[in-house]
Amino acid sequence: MESIIEVRNLTKVFNSRGRKITAVNDVSFDVSNGEIFSMIGPNGAGKSTAFAMMTTLIKPTSGSIKVAGFDAENEDDRIRPIIGIVPQKLSLYPDLTARENLELMGNLYDVPKKVMEERIEYYLKLVNLETHADRFTGGFSGGMKQRLSVISAVIHDPQIIFWDEPTTGLDPQTRQAIWKLGRKFNTEGKTLIFTTHYMDEADKLCDRVAVMNAGKLMALDTPENLKKASNSTSLEEVFIHLTGEEIRD
Amino acid sequence: MDLKKEIRKSWVIMIKEFRQIIRKKAFMIPMFMFPIVMIVFFGYGMGGTVKNADVLIVNDDTGIASSSLVQEIGSFIPKYGDDKMFSITYTKDMGQSEAERKIDSGLYKAILIIPQDYSERVARNESVTLTLLTDSSDTSSSSIIINFMKQLFSGTSSSLVTLKIPDIYGKLQYIDFLTPAVIALTVFMGTIQTMGYAIAGERQDGTLVRIMMTPVSRGAIILGKTLHQLVLQLARAVVLIIGAIVILGVTMNGSWLLVALVLIIFTLSAVGLGMAISAVSEDMTSFQAISMLIAFPSMFATGVFYPLSSVPDWMRWIAYMVPLSYANDAMRTIMIKGLGLSFIANDLIILALFAIFYFALGVYLFRREV
Ligand SMILES: Nc1ncnc2c1ncn2[C@@H]1O[C@H](COP(=O)(O)OP(=O)(O)OP(=O)(O)O)[C@@H](O)[C@H]1O
Ligand SMILES: [Mg+2]
Repeated sequence: MESIIEVRNLTKVFNSRGRKITAVNDVSFDVSNGEIFSMIGPNGAGKSTAFAMMTTLIKPTSGSIKVAGFDAENEDDRIRPIIGIVPQKLSLYPDLTARENLELMGNLYDVPKKVMEERIEYYLKLVNLETHADRFTGGFSGGMKQRLSVISAVIHDPQIIFWDEPTTGLDPQTRQAIWKLGRKFNTEGKTLIFTTHYMDEADKLCDRVAVMNAGKLMALDTPENLKKASNSTSLEEVFIHLTGEEIRD
Repeated sequence: MDLKKEIRKSWVIMIKEFRQIIRKKAFMIPMFMFPIVMIVFFGYGMGGTVKNADVLIVNDDTGIASSSLVQEIGSFIPKYGDDKMFSITYTKDMGQSEAERKIDSGLYKAILIIPQDYSERVARNESVTLTLLTDSSDTSSSSIIINFMKQLFSGTSSSLVTLKIPDIYGKLQYIDFLTPAVIALTVFMGTIQTMGYAIAGERQDGTLVRIMMTPVSRGAIILGKTLHQLVLQLARAVVLIIGAIVILGVTMNGSWLLVALVLIIFTLSAVGLGMAISAVSEDMTSFQAISMLIAFPSMFATGVFYPLSSVPDWMRWIAYMVPLSYANDAMRTIMIKGLGLSFIANDLIILALFAIFYFALGVYLFRREV
């Protein structure tokens, strides 16, 4: 299958108060068009940093990324319109209504007004927020906020979707609802890349898993193959096997 | 880069900022109340206007120059409403220590001592020192008296063109003096504060990063937020000035267009400064701390509450480095003196330089830090 993302020798070094932190360390991998791809790894493994570079928010220290054939460093204006992002940190405007938040995103992504209004109605229904459309999101529950974040990332019908820990802190019902959306978007032909700390989610959902640890890519394969390779019965065992038992700072 | 698209997106961002700010009731209400409270409380409560202040002139000289000076002072006493600001008594033969005691006891707000050789020295073109003692516990009165006298003497020493100067101060009510500067101060603090919400606040809650992931250039984000500030601050200043004229009877002698021009340039410098502070502060708390550090000296060193001429030298040096001082001066020149562009040209040039400098700094730090 053709690759939609090509990551080559990707490295990111942060200078934080005089200390150098290598958040991503010489990582290479491909994401195929139309697959569900997940990244797992302990806290601080570099998942969000890798996402930030793939979504053109920050520039790599070295290495290269191609998204849909465009260079992430120099052609970010070509990449941004075709990707949708749900950041790890919730980022809705609390003093705007759900609809205003969606319209803002639609406008910033140049979605024509009529199409935008249709999509907003459609997606609000899809995530059962239609009756809350005109409430300020500041008063939303965590689950409602996350459902809104998820649909605000597809208002411009992106080809690739990035979800950074979309289910953290959510109840099982909302988690399931979100994964249902993920599958739906995927069957519509969108490539989905997500991170999670729930191993069962990665196990059940994705075509391939990348395991990261301390900035390094430890393994990349289907969940089945990963389990086979380390003689484990669950992805959690694989995870511990590959990343060790000590707790990260 | 598609310029039309960028401008449309700036517009979208500006509208968003307006929606947000209008909904922040806890912010909007003080935004209008704060300056009004300040004008009313400082303007009336602190008794900024001088009425019938007792001034004693001690004249030990019998020459022509001193008697004409005394006459001049007498005939150009500024008025407040129907009342004269000073009521003057004359005497002779009073030493400085005795005069000081009179002030201590509250008998006089000010005492001017004219030395015996005043006329002689003036005739010989020599320098001569007059002593003006004021009751500095009443800061407003004393600063007004000092200014009145300073103006008078700065004229006298060169020529007889002293007559115009008291005329300016003849119109002076403290509230007239206060209002233009409070408007400028309000614009300054308000801009910095709202820029804090718009950048440091949004950075803290993650929304700014989210916006920066969309196909919007940073230029468009900055433009949107700047346009929002310009419209917001101008609208607020107009409402406040009209309110001050209608409710408090404040003087507005000059051109609204010039006021707008000053405020636009001034707002731009405050936007830049607010952006710079936002960019270097990690969160809203540190933003507040840094902006307070800047706001307070600006408030008290730039001649909002008293004329710059009456602040100590070291404070005046601080004032020269803060754009608010020039905005205060320009606003007063327009609103009180009713003078035109040529009289505020210097202020405008300096304000424009501040605007360019702060804006460049703000954009640079925003691009680097955010
Ligand atoms: N802007 C930054 N400046 C300095 N250090 C950073 C920055 N962003 C991330 N780091 C550091 O880089 C490392 C990787 O962080 P990253 O957020 O990518 O991890 P993660 O895998 O997403 O972790 P988590 O599962 O906790 O979200 C961490 O050590 C983090 O402290
Ligand atoms: Mg993360």
